[in-house]
Amino acid sequence: MARILTSSLTPGMMLSRPLLNKNGVMVLSDGTELTEALIKKIRKMGIDEADVQGTTAAFSGGRTEALAQLDARFKNAETAPHMDVLKQLVREHLEGLCGNDGSESAEE
Amino acid sequence: MDLRALRNRVETIQNLATIPSVAKRLLEIVGKPAVSLGEISDFVSHDPALAAKVLKMVNSPVYGFPGRIASVNQAVLLLGLNVLRGLLVGVTVFDLMQKAMIGLRDHSLGCAIFSRIIARRKGLKDPEELFIFGLLHDIGKMVLVFNFPKEYAKVMDGAQTKGVTVYDVEPDFFSTTHATVGAWVTEQWSFPKPLIDVIGFHHRPHLAKVAPMETAIVHFSDIILRARGFGFAGDTCVPPLSPYAWDTLGLTEDDIKEVLKEAEDLLEEAADLSF
Repeated sequence: MARILTSSLTPGMMLSRPLLNKNGVMVLSDGTELTEALIKKIRKMGIDEADVQGTTAAFSGGRTEALAQLDARFKNAETAPHMDVLKQLVREHLEGLCGNDGSESAEE
Repeated sequence: MDLRALRNRVETIQNLATIPSVAKRLLEIVGKPAVSLGEISDFVSHDPALAAKVLKMVNSPVYGFPGRIASVNQAVLLLGLNVLRGLLVGVTVFDLMQKAMIGLRDHSLGCAIFSRIIARRKGLKDPEELFIFGLLHDIGKMVLVFNFPKEYAKVMDGAQTKGVTVYDVEPDFFSTTHATVGAWVTEQWSFPKPLIDVIGFHHRPHLAKVAPMETAIVHFSDIILRARGFGFAGDTCVPPLSPYAWDTLGLTEDDIKEVLKEAEDLLEEAADLSF
């Protein structure tokens, strides 16, 4: 479960908490599967964030951000023994996760 | 800060007003050197909320116990005294962890997940025990945050500014680290020696005497979890891996890939496992 920006929502994601509008009124219940049309409506209503199932917070910003964050995390340890191998393995792992836009985990 | 004064302070954590009375009573029971299974089982059975938490945890895919555990008595029989004690402290400090530091609970659970997966891969006879070790490895952080919230906030700021870990900055404020503090309190609670060893040396696994393999596993899990990016342990960078732990574990690249994959689904479950 993660709270992500509505600009990062993709079709197929499922709400893990009810979605509230700016006045606190529920507009969609939890468990709702998001479609292209729903996402457009959500953004139009000016709702900034939504709680969705699956995707963990690390990937809310998508692949580019996930990899930039990885670089930042390793900044001071890259030259230490074995860290290059570890970083490469984690990078491949994260790329694999981001490749499906998080929609795979939402299908379960 | 004077080391002896610090030790005195943290070892009387039960007296802290911020610790709920249930947790205090629990720590008294599980900390008794000669506590029996019967006593623990009685205590848990009389606290339905606690019993529910334990059963929820052991039946979660995150914990990975084969089969279903339906009652506290069954849990006592199947898990044994040490695992149950660790588990009880784990579920009790869960909320406290989150209060101490947003994300510490996820970090602890994530480390528990990786530790269990690697332990199974290395053929250790009790992978569930490693789950507990991972779950409690940062308990010293929680103790420090609760006792010295202002100072610990400065530690976190310092780590952020310098781009290092809280472990590197803690000695400037406390003359020691969360690892040592964690070892003190768990020693005080008469926890099993291997667990104390893991907590005390999870940043320097080559110094572990009682449980070198277990300590190497938790160290590696801590690093790979931070590399993956999950939860929050007070800082945002990945500390260097101990070459000793790397050699001790002898994991191949394929092993590591599979460990990451296996952990992934469970990390999602962990994020949903709230009490």
